[in-house]
Amino acid sequence: MIHQIILTVAAVTAINVVLAVLLVIAERYLADFGECTLTVNDQKKLDVKGGSTLLATLSREKIFLPSACGGRGTCAYCKCRIQSGAGPLLPTEIPLLSSEEIENQVRLACQVKVKQDMAITIPEELFAIQEFRASVKEIRRLTHDIKLLRLSLLDPGEISFKSGQYIQLKSQPYADIRERVSRAYSISSPNHVKNAIDLIVRLVPEGICTTWVHEYLREGETVSFVGPMGDFFLRDGRGEIIMVAGGSGMAPMVSILHEMIHTNNERKVTYFFGAVTRRDLFYLDEMNAFRQKLPNFKFIPALSEPLPEDSWDGETGLITEILGKYLKGKDTSDMQGYLCGSPGMIQASIQVMKEHHIEGDRIFFDPFA
Amino acid sequence: MKPTPHEKKQWFDFLPGAISKDGFLGNDRRQIHDIVQDDERHLEYLGLNREAIADRLQYFIESGKKGLEKNVDLGDYTVQVRWSRGMQPCPFGERGLHHKLVAYVKHKSSGRELRFTQLNVHMIREHGFFEGSGSTFRMEPEILQVFMT
Repeated sequence: MIHQIILTVAAVTAINVVLAVLLVIAERYLADFGECTLTVNDQKKLDVKGGSTLLATLSREKIFLPSACGGRGTCAYCKCRIQSGAGPLLPTEIPLLSSEEIENQVRLACQVKVKQDMAITIPEELFAIQEFRASVKEIRRLTHDIKLLRLSLLDPGEISFKSGQYIQLKSQPYADIRERVSRAYSISSPNHVKNAIDLIVRLVPEGICTTWVHEYLREGETVSFVGPMGDFFLRDGRGEIIMVAGGSGMAPMVSILHEMIHTNNERKVTYFFGAVTRRDLFYLDEMNAFRQKLPNFKFIPALSEPLPEDSWDGETGLITEILGKYLKGKDTSDMQGYLCGSPGMIQASIQVMKEHHIEGDRIFFDPFA
Repeated sequence: MKPTPHEKKQWFDFLPGAISKDGFLGNDRRQIHDIVQDDERHLEYLGLNREAIADRLQYFIESGKKGLEKNVDLGDYTVQVRWSRGMQPCPFGERGLHHKLVAYVKHKSSGRELRFTQLNVHMIREHGFFEGSGSTFRMEPEILQVFMT
């Protein structure tokens, strides 16, 4: 009896081992898609190893599609057109694609695997996105929950970007966090400074990357990021520029203002900055400096809930109320709106602007909001 | 009880650093479906149901959003919503993203405070998941009871 039990256990174990070995062999050889050719924009041909997602494959070829979810198939930023070789549409893609996009062969690069030759189309500007290594030159506290992060570029040593664009900073493992994550932060430094960038990072409750920046990252350490990205930048025009921001939304506005000084742009700018109390305000000296250099620049900070000790005699109320009061009765036909901050502030500001006839095609904001 | 195959697959996303800094399980050693079942029994005992709780929490979020980070007075309560840029997926793995926002609600008379995210509301409504014991955003049914009226 015991002999039989031992034999049965040994037989089952042996079968399991054989199956496991077969699985490993199958994965090694049957799932090897060999070398595939990616044709990008009908011009560039890339010989790549098959088997990975298109997003990861392109990344290895130094072509970086935007992605905010780390390839989980949830943010849908990595959409691109795949004319051939993508295989059938996956269930994971369907909820994130419109019927028009499906008709136009748009797919999620993080979901589609490269298993055969493929022809894809991606926007030309994405070729300008590079991966950078940089040294942390300075970390400076701006408010109780906002820090300035100044990065000195190591490799490549220079960056070209439009004021208002953002980069995706990669965090390092820390404490219990084992994975690296990428998060988007707008560049606040002038775009004519090529060898360094400034970021303004607000601590997000439970935020993986912002906690790393605020509590673990130290001056002198090396970080990596991908960029520049985004189409939030100063458009041509002659009318007044209305900026509305809060918190770390200050970053792209500062970069745009620097560019206006550098290019002697004399357009009228009115910048509304919303905060709750005095301790949430920062860069007031920088705003004064802009006022000295830009003849038509006006900065209007507003506190929604000033404390008695704030001794605040400036604008009080929600930033959208102050904005509405300012726009009331004005000719807004050639005004442009630039918004950066929390999604709630952006949504509310868009509504106020539209109520005052600043149409959607003249309102610009960060895509990752 | 053993983890379900789906739980095994999704387990990583509940841990610190996958979706949120501290993860969703705290120091809880139970399987996810056991946490859900225990809370379900607890809610039944208290005469609560998860849809009503999710509706109530969403009411606080929608009211708080109007304040643009300022405290909004709701009579018996004050609520403040801090809405950050970016989105979060659900650790249970279905499609869709949730805004990164945290609501802080204070019950004036008792002084009790509640803190929760938009993702919490989704996980309560769709999965009956209030997070594991000791987790940063764990919501105890007894405390939630105070905020239901």
